[in-house]
Amino acid sequence: MNQIIDISVPQLLIALFFILIAQASSFIYHLGLNRDITIGTIRTFAQLFLMGYVLTFILKTSNPWIVLGVFTVMVFSAMFIIKGRVKEKQIPYIIPTFLTMLVSYLATALFVSGLVIGITPWWEPRYFIPAGGMIIGNSMSALAISLERLFRDMRQQKEVVEMKLSLGANYREASLDIFRNAVTAGMIPSINAMMGVGLVFIPGMMSGQILAGTDPLIAIRYQIVVMLMLVGSTAVSSVIVMLIVRRRCFGTAEEVLLTPR
Amino acid sequence: MTPLLDIKNLSFAYDGSTALVFDRLSVTVQEGEFILVKGPSGSGKSTLLRLICRLNQPRDGSILFLGNNITTIAPAKLRSMISYVAQIPQMIDATVQENLILPFSFAINADKLKPSTEELREMLRKFYLADVSPDQSAMKLSIGQKQRLAIMRALLQQPQLLLLDEPTSALDHESASMVFAIIERLNTEDRKTLITVTHSDYKPGEVKPLIYTLNQKSLHLSL
Repeated sequence: MNQIIDISVPQLLIALFFILIAQASSFIYHLGLNRDITIGTIRTFAQLFLMGYVLTFILKTSNPWIVLGVFTVMVFSAMFIIKGRVKEKQIPYIIPTFLTMLVSYLATALFVSGLVIGITPWWEPRYFIPAGGMIIGNSMSALAISLERLFRDMRQQKEVVEMKLSLGANYREASLDIFRNAVTAGMIPSINAMMGVGLVFIPGMMSGQILAGTDPLIAIRYQIVVMLMLVGSTAVSSVIVMLIVRRRCFGTAEEVLLTPR
Repeated sequence: MTPLLDIKNLSFAYDGSTALVFDRLSVTVQEGEFILVKGPSGSGKSTLLRLICRLNQPRDGSILFLGNNITTIAPAKLRSMISYVAQIPQMIDATVQENLILPFSFAINADKLKPSTEELREMLRKFYLADVSPDQSAMKLSIGQKQRLAIMRALLQQPQLLLLDEPTSALDHESASMVFAIIERLNTEDRKTLITVTHSDYKPGEVKPLIYTLNQKSLHLSL
C-alpha cells in the first residue's frame, strides 16, 4: 500500500487533457489565452524537468557552497520577478530588497533546518533547498504586493504626506499609515493561508508527501512548520524592505521624492 | 537686527530640467512683515514657498532662518517653525478636532500644550467657522471651510513664519474675502509674519503688505 506508484510518460501525456480543455475554453470564448497556455505548458514541463535533474544533482552534493550558491540564484531569480511586477523607476529599491531577501530568508531557512527540524549539517540540501524555495516563493509575492502598494500610495497620497511634513511630522510619522498598509497588504495572503489550511485547501507540500507515501501525521508536522515559517519570513522581510525603501522615497530634507508618473 | 528670513542668490530648476525657475533670487523678510507675492501661473510662486520649508531643494544659493542656514536645522524642527499651507487644503479622514490637533501627535510638538475643545470652538468662531462643530467630520466641509481649518491648524503649533500658497484660488468671492480678512488680522492683531502667494486681484484693506512680483526668475518689490 505504501509503494509509490510511478507516473509513466504516456500517463503524463494523458494529463495534457486538462490543457486541451483550457485551450478549448479560450478558443470558444475568444479569451486570447491560447498562446500563453501553450507557452505555460511547455515551460511547466521544461522548467520542472530541468529542476528535477538539477535537484537530483544538488540533493546528492556534500558541498555547502553549492547549496548556498543555488539558494542565492533562487533569491536572485525572485528579485527579477519582483522587478518585473513592481514598475518603479524613480526610487532605487532593487539592491536593498535583494540583500534583505538573501539575509532574512537565509536566517529563516537556517532556523528551521538547524533548530526546528534539527538536521546536521544545517545545509543538508534535502531540507534546506525545498524550505528555501517555499520561503522565497511565498515572500516574493508578499514583497511585490507590499512594494507596489507603498509606491502607489506614496504617489496618490503625496499631498497628505506633505501636509503632515509641513506640520512638523518627520518622514516616519508622515508616512506611517502608508507603511502599515503596505506591510499588511503583503502579509494578508500568508495569514489567510493559515486560516484556510486543512479546511479550504491541502497544501502542495503535504499532499506531495502523502502521495509519495509519508505518514500523514509526519507530513502534518512538516506542514505546520512550513506555515509558521512562511508567516515569519514574510513579516521580517516585508518590514525590513518597507523600512529601507520608505526612507528612500524621501530626500535628505525628508521631502517626498516621488513625482507623478 | 537678524532678519527672520534671508534668501540669498537662490537658483532652482526642476529635476531633469536645465531651465531655471529662479535665477539668483534674493529677498529679506523681517519679523512681523506681511509679504504678498504676485505673479502669473507657472512663475514658480508655490515653488518659492516649498523651497523655504524644504519640500523642494534649490540648485544653488542659501536660505537663512534667524541667521541659520535652513539645511542645518532638522527638517521637522524647521517645519514646526515655518508652517506651510498648500493650495488645496488636505484633511485626514477624521473629525475637525482630530484634524486640528494633528500637529500635536508628532514628536516635535510633544512639549507644546494641546488646545482644549473650548479653545478650539473659540478659534473656529474667529475663523468664521462658528457653525462647524469640533466633532463633525472634516471631510464633509466645503473647500472654503477646509482652507480656513488648514490655516488654523498650521497656526496652532505657533510657527514663527506662516507660508500660504494661493489660499483663495479655489474659493468663491465670499470665502476668499473671509480668508483675506483672517490673514490681515493675523498680521495686525497677532503680529504674525506671513508670506502669501496669490494671483488673485486681492486689494488689501487697512494693512499694507509688501507686494513683490515674481517675473524674469526673480522677485521685484512693487512700490
